[in-house]
Amino acid sequence: MSGHHISSAKFLWGIGFALFVLTFITVAVTWMHIPGPWNVVVAIGLAAIKATIVAAFFMNLYWDSKYNLMLLVMSFVFFFLMIGITLLDTLFRNDPVPAF
Amino acid sequence: MGMWIFLVTEILFFGGLFAAYIVYRAWYPDLYVQASTQLDTFWGAVNTAVLIGSSLTVAMAIRSAQLNQIKGLIINLYITIGLAFTFMVIKYFEYVHKFEKGIFPGQYYTYEGIAHEKANIFFSIYYMMTGLHGLHVIIGIGLMIWLLVKAKKGAFSAEYYTPVEITGLYWHLVDVIWIFLFPLLYLID
Repeated sequence: MSGHHISSAKFLWGIGFALFVLTFITVAVTWMHIPGPWNVVVAIGLAAIKATIVAAFFMNLYWDSKYNLMLLVMSFVFFFLMIGITLLDTLFRNDPVPAF
Repeated sequence: MGMWIFLVTEILFFGGLFAAYIVYRAWYPDLYVQASTQLDTFWGAVNTAVLIGSSLTVAMAIRSAQLNQIKGLIINLYITIGLAFTFMVIKYFEYVHKFEKGIFPGQYYTYEGIAHEKANIFFSIYYMMTGLHGLHVIIGIGLMIWLLVKAKKGAFSAEYYTPVEITGLYWHLVDVIWIFLFPLLYLID
């Protein structure tokens, strides 16, 4: 919490408005029926853009100490490591676990 | 900084559920497409907007505290709590609607409208992810009410507003998690 940047009200409303627009776009792209797997890529891409905007400007990471940014980035690195190693197992089994 | 370390543990906590989601989606892609039709995109989108709106009011609440505008802080906290309740009410009606159809998690699943033998698995994941997220929203409401009580007693000022700031960080993270849950659960076509 070392940044203590004070954003103007206008700026915060602008960020909120941008997030509303991106939410609308997230829904609107599904009306186009983009063929898979690109629909997933587009959906996650838009969600990632929105999450980045929230983290940077609502959570003040843009002005905050870089240490906090590193913590957040590292959490995602370890998350992807967890997913990656799990999928190395589950994607290459001959059969899914029978009971599940 | 301590708050950010807590948020990291939260991301990895939800990360386990996202991992379960990804594994089962890789195994049963058809199931996700079929089961997602049971979720109402409209209300999911409304709830996304509600949470983004509440993130905005929390950011405004922190700004008010930084500028020593205690009245603005209190008003923004009230609006945030109202929006959080709105989110939970919509979620409640979504759950009740599914329970009426017999869409329960795991072995209690009795709905027959989805022609897939593993349909209960999607809804187990759905209830775990949205349920845990809903629990975070309820905890957030509790924290906001606590902030409201303290703010009315005059505990916060431009010199001291750390509880407002770190509750805000928590609330934004809950918003970010929903930003990912919405397309992953509701918008599969």
